[in-house]
Amino acid sequence: MKEDQVKMDHTIIFQPSGRRGLVPAGTTILDASRKLGVDIEAVCGELIVCGKCRVKIMEGKFQKEDITSSMKHLSSLDEKETKVLERKDAVENVRLACCTRIHGDVLVFVPEASRTGKQVVSKAAGKIKVKLKPAVRKYYLELPVPNLDDPLGDFERIEKVLYGKNPKMKKLTIDYRALQKLPDVLRKSDWKITVTVWNNAEIIRVEPGQAATNIGLAVDIGTTSVAGYLTDLNTGDVIVTESMMNPQVRYGEDVMSRISYCMFNEESGLKELQDTITEGLNTIAKAATDKAGFSTDDISEMTLVCNTAMHHILLGINPEYMGVAPFTPALHHSVDIKAERLGIHILPAGNIHVLPIEAGFVGADNVGCLIADKPHKRKEMTLLIDIGTNGELVLGNRDKLISCSCATGPALEGAQIEFGMRAAPGAIERVKIDPRTLEATFKVIGSARWSDGEAKMQAKGICGSAIIDVIAEMFRTGILKKNGQINHDLVSKRIRKNDKGLSEYVLAWRHETAIDADIVVNQKDVRAIQLAKGALYSGCLIMLRKLGIKKFDRLAVAGAFGSHIDKVAAMVIGMFPDCDLKRVEYIGNAAGDGARIALLSTDERKEANVIARKVEYVELALEEDFNDRFGEAMQFPHMFDEFPHLEGILPREPQAVGK
Amino acid sequence: MATKEKEQELIKRLQDAVINYKIADAKKVAEEAIAVGADAYTVTMEGLAGGMEVVSEKFDSHEYFVPETLLCAKALYAALDVLKPHIKLQAGGSRGQVVLGVMQGDVHDLGKNIIKAIFEASGWTVHDLGRDVPLQRFVEEQLKTDSDIVMLSAMMTTSMVGIKKLIPMIKEKNPKVKIMIGGAPITEKTVEEYGADTTADNAPNALKEAMKMLETLRKGRAA
Repeated sequence: MKEDQVKMDHTIIFQPSGRRGLVPAGTTILDASRKLGVDIEAVCGELIVCGKCRVKIMEGKFQKEDITSSMKHLSSLDEKETKVLERKDAVENVRLACCTRIHGDVLVFVPEASRTGKQVVSKAAGKIKVKLKPAVRKYYLELPVPNLDDPLGDFERIEKVLYGKNPKMKKLTIDYRALQKLPDVLRKSDWKITVTVWNNAEIIRVEPGQAATNIGLAVDIGTTSVAGYLTDLNTGDVIVTESMMNPQVRYGEDVMSRISYCMFNEESGLKELQDTITEGLNTIAKAATDKAGFSTDDISEMTLVCNTAMHHILLGINPEYMGVAPFTPALHHSVDIKAERLGIHILPAGNIHVLPIEAGFVGADNVGCLIADKPHKRKEMTLLIDIGTNGELVLGNRDKLISCSCATGPALEGAQIEFGMRAAPGAIERVKIDPRTLEATFKVIGSARWSDGEAKMQAKGICGSAIIDVIAEMFRTGILKKNGQINHDLVSKRIRKNDKGLSEYVLAWRHETAIDADIVVNQKDVRAIQLAKGALYSGCLIMLRKLGIKKFDRLAVAGAFGSHIDKVAAMVIGMFPDCDLKRVEYIGNAAGDGARIALLSTDERKEANVIARKVEYVELALEEDFNDRFGEAMQFPHMFDEFPHLEGILPREPQAVGK
Repeated sequence: MATKEKEQELIKRLQDAVINYKIADAKKVAEEAIAVGADAYTVTMEGLAGGMEVVSEKFDSHEYFVPETLLCAKALYAALDVLKPHIKLQAGGSRGQVVLGVMQGDVHDLGKNIIKAIFEASGWTVHDLGRDVPLQRFVEEQLKTDSDIVMLSAMMTTSMVGIKKLIPMIKEKNPKVKIMIGGAPITEKTVEEYGADTTADNAPNALKEAMKMLETLRKGRAA
């Protein structure tokens, strides 16, 4: 291409945030928003499909901002974008940020619906049992003052004393930065110092006098959210929990869209994503230590759990190869890297310990779940389901463990759903439907009351837990047939077809919402849920078969989102096979608990490496009959399987389909 | 030879077996058709393909979804396995030929299998390369079979990328061949960017698109 024209820079201003900056001509609004730190939803990964990145272009001369903004300053509408906009009943001057390019100054308003809202992240620390044996220990030393008869070097002087205290510290080294400080610190503190030793092997910090503070940070990097637990390494107590949205959400909601971002932007994609998460970790470290009254340098170690893709991206390893069959990760073993090398702002010599990986799609987060729940130590058969943006399953007991990954996609969390949204204020979180009247009542996050069909509820969308609720309720009340079809034989003004002929059920009427439209669940939404839950259920079945058993004794549901799911509703839609509901346990954010356990015990780290390699990974899609089992599992709750534990809850005579 | 009435009755029963996914029935009716000497080609096209057409309509109208379609395909194959050896080639021949497969790095073949069933039922010859297919295999198979259309399936954005590399490889050897791509991450934008000819969001639409392309191809050849 001839570049005979010098590329101009244009001013773009985002409202309501007020962020402004210069961007080269041809930049998309979404890219500009990323550069300027404005959060715009990019659910579909810039494929011009989801329509969630709609922005409004303000026209005219804006004195205060000193620009003239015009629709003419943008690339023209193409067919694809028009199609998406029409569907969303676009009002004037609305464009999609992902495909609209800037060719002049513009002022862009990001409507609330398009903002990556502040999510309600509830990754509370669970109770953990662990024998304290942190990798980082502090030693207060009073050293003999050197003289001409004893001119031993400063480091060796420390080494000698430490070896006397603990013979394991035979081959000690010292971090370069710590070494640079050592002579001054020793002399200024009258040879009374505290040294921080990592793994009985390296001095990573020297402090004057007695310094008791010994803290670490355990972090769970989820695809959607990141949680950090600032932990006292002497007691094991969590001092502060700090969480945030995974800032990589700007590059796409699911793992695949982020991997492909790296692939499509060969030069800078990986680096951008890596920097984004590093910055996120730094924000968490800073916020947590500020709250607790420490400095970030006080954090002497960080442990991390995350899925394999997040793992590779964080470490700056090309995730491309783990993203395609045979899904080979760069390594399985845990990794120890100095914070400084990753640009993570804790103690520069501090260690970053990333837990091991089971397989391409069963990552360190799953290993975290295992060391937290310890199914490998139990006699009973545990089925562990970690529901996040992907679903990971582990089945087994102390004799054998197998794992698999189910491509549930983000539908269960509210993405790919017409009115789906994250668990943020305004999201519908619980739903009930009256089986006689087929009327719905719902609850919105941030409000304690149930809707009555009259009151303004300010609902904006439906979050994951409510999607499972509403589908379960629709099936229970016969609005959904066993095969997922919306049943038009029932008469209710809530069951209708939209102008495109698509069946839908009205969950909230326009006057109950904050978006000036009815909130509905349509046939496509139901299909998306069927695919997701069918993936989970068929995964469970194939795992059971692999171990040659008919049922499991205990179902452990992990994941921050998992603990919000109503277990009856989950079984009604058939997310997992029939089991005793009393044996369904929510184990909370087990991945995060695992990160804390690893932070507190080097023995557990060793164990993590052993289990990670012992769990046998099952590639579901390679099973001969996977498609059939998957298909059967898409019906509610399943095409054939019986659910004795739902007696009295399920519709009495479900239409037998397929026998 | 079966009478016209008998043949019509068999066709109707085959359609019902496919539409209502009665796998055992489908096989039984097919065997009966052979036993009474009905024309295998006619009952296949009108019974099986006709039945699948109704299935497609039900899919379009959201009455059927993946599970039902999979079962219908099973019923279809149960009958097709019986009828196929008796179909005389000269009876109209194949409608067209396609090379079909799932991209390298991808093992999700559910969509591809449904496509295959619908195409076979409609009288197409399908060269199914399976899943996780190396790029070169598509090129070789197209040359070997001189197929009209190559259909590429990808369920993941990461495996979709291979399509971009593959299309020029195929078109270089044979510029006339038409290429249809499909799968969850694929949109009209992908078609344009990758230089494919078309896409379809489900199997029935894929068949319609293929028919259109075949017509264009044949017109081109006749001219």
